[in-house]
Amino acid sequence: MPPSEKTQHPKPFKQRKSLATRRHEVAGIRTKFPTKIPVIIERYQREKYLPPLDKTKFLVPQELTMTQFVTIIRNRMTLMPNQAFYLLINNSGIASMSVTMAQLYKDHKDEDGFLYMTYASQEMFGHCVGYKNRSVDGAAAPDDLRGSAHDASEELSVILTESSGRFSWSWRQ
Amino acid sequence: MDVSDELDKGMEPADDLASFEVVDLSNPGLSADVAGHVQQSKEKTKLKTKLVSAWNNVRYGGWSLKSRPRLSKSSPVCLLGQSYQLSYTGERESFRRAFSSLLWMTYRRGFPPLDGSALSSDAGWGCMLRSAQMLLAQGLLLHMMPAGWTWPATHHQTKDDLEVVDAHSLDDSLKDSGKPRRRSLGTTLDCETQEERTHRRLVSRFGDSPSAPFGLHRLVELGRASGKRAGDWYGPAIAAHILQKAVSASELSNLAVYVAQDCTVYIGDVLNLCGTSRMDLSARSGWKSLVLLVPVRLGSDALNPAYTRCVKRLLELRCCMGIIGGKPKHSLFFVGFQDDQLIYLDPHYCQTAVDVKQDNFPLESFHCKSVRKMPFNRMDPSCTVGFYAKSRADFQTLCSDVTKALTSSEEKYPIFTFVEGHNEEDSGCTSDSVAHIKTNKGRPGRIKKKSSMDDFVLL
Repeated sequence: MPPSEKTQHPKPFKQRKSLATRRHEVAGIRTKFPTKIPVIIERYQREKYLPPLDKTKFLVPQELTMTQFVTIIRNRMTLMPNQAFYLLINNSGIASMSVTMAQLYKDHKDEDGFLYMTYASQEMFGHCVGYKNRSVDGAAAPDDLRGSAHDASEELSVILTESSGRFSWSWRQ
Repeated sequence: MDVSDELDKGMEPADDLASFEVVDLSNPGLSADVAGHVQQSKEKTKLKTKLVSAWNNVRYGGWSLKSRPRLSKSSPVCLLGQSYQLSYTGERESFRRAFSSLLWMTYRRGFPPLDGSALSSDAGWGCMLRSAQMLLAQGLLLHMMPAGWTWPATHHQTKDDLEVVDAHSLDDSLKDSGKPRRRSLGTTLDCETQEERTHRRLVSRFGDSPSAPFGLHRLVELGRASGKRAGDWYGPAIAAHILQKAVSASELSNLAVYVAQDCTVYIGDVLNLCGTSRMDLSARSGWKSLVLLVPVRLGSDALNPAYTRCVKRLLELRCCMGIIGGKPKHSLFFVGFQDDQLIYLDPHYCQTAVDVKQDNFPLESFHCKSVRKMPFNRMDPSCTVGFYAKSRADFQTLCSDVTKALTSSEEKYPIFTFVEGHNEEDSGCTSDSVAHIKTNKGRPGRIKKKSSMDDFVLL
């Protein structure tokens, strides 16, 4: 699938719309669905391993727990069960898995009325790939020169082939 | 100035534990290994190798010679559940012994090529796997050694011995083709005690050869299931899953590893894992000891400062095995803290691989005398926290102690939770199957209505 420039680095939702517009939107949707929580879910700006979500705005039943909610999002991305996936509230803290959306909304809703979440996996660790083997062993090991970007595309392609495309994803190379 | 300061005056620079630096600067890995194991024909190349790698260690590894960590005497140091007041000579000595008894895994070079590659060193990419080895090694020390065990070799070092350290000792050891300045401490003991044999056997499990159950070769092989290859970078969650697989495939039948998913520990699942589901004759009282690994993400770009306190509380617990994480791109094994500084063991130091199949292979390069520290605010938010529970009762204590520590955070919610019962999601989902792609059973988002307020996904 060709990488789509548009989905690669979308502006955060907050920057795409003015506060007034966002407030208006929340007010409208809350009247229509008073028991649903309006949630914005965005990918962590530097996320390399998890695919982008096709949608940003979710209306979530208020009695849903974080566990259930995370499961839903994981399923949407068709992640492997042991793949790291974290939802950070307001881009900073992890929410307890047993807490309900209603509680979360009460504690963390933005001034515009949305609840903001960022999803991220984990960082990988390593540096300066390749210097050692060439200098010490004399022969450069070809495997030695790959960076982490390579892994990312490899992992994602696994997901890609297996996903049963109800949602259309775009992948970063 | 208190009494102990008086006593120490002249023995060591007043406030720091510079003495810990000694062995590292003179580089036991280089000297001992070279003296013991290098064939003559390779001497010249080896010397060149040493020089190059010493340079690389300084240049890339963060092992700079100038920055000596200083621990303060005025506040306690916490090291894996133990607190030490360094102003007391006795406690300082206990701290020194405890720290240098921890197992230290570093980059190695000159091991048999990793499967499917030409790599004979992991320098530059293997740091997370080395940190993971250290975490597991700590678990195994708790599992197999008597409580409070310290390596006897650390007992024999006198102050004088430690004082030798200077920057120029590095040059010395490089010049004289690595003649060891001291005898191998492991072999100075006439006959090894039972404990020492266990210690040595434990270390040999981490040897850099394909047959070692927790060696780099094995871990890289197990990482393939997560799409990783030799030379790739690893993360703390992937490392946790690799450890889980390595232990379950090893001969350690009375130890089990549980890796939490989505920051949740399902107590029912742990009990199933550790209870006697199978007939297992070797298991005492039908309970496997537990290594509990919890991968977390404590912020987006940087560690959320609200979690600092919580990380400290966790490191203060007796059941805590340490935390694998690091600074960005630079994996470290966190074992304690003092004030706002984390104390760690650093794998970014390339040593010659040791042949652990030899009797009395040198143990020095698997222990670190140099205490390193860094401020909490440089900690990468991605990490995996490890805990150990020997018995079922220990596990219960662990649950309540950890829960208490977790709720100390300034953040409203704990970083992970214990939940009664089982994870309904992936019962049946165990380690080995390669492509565990979740299919769309019970697909949520079923009513994706397009309302007038377009773009909203209705759950």
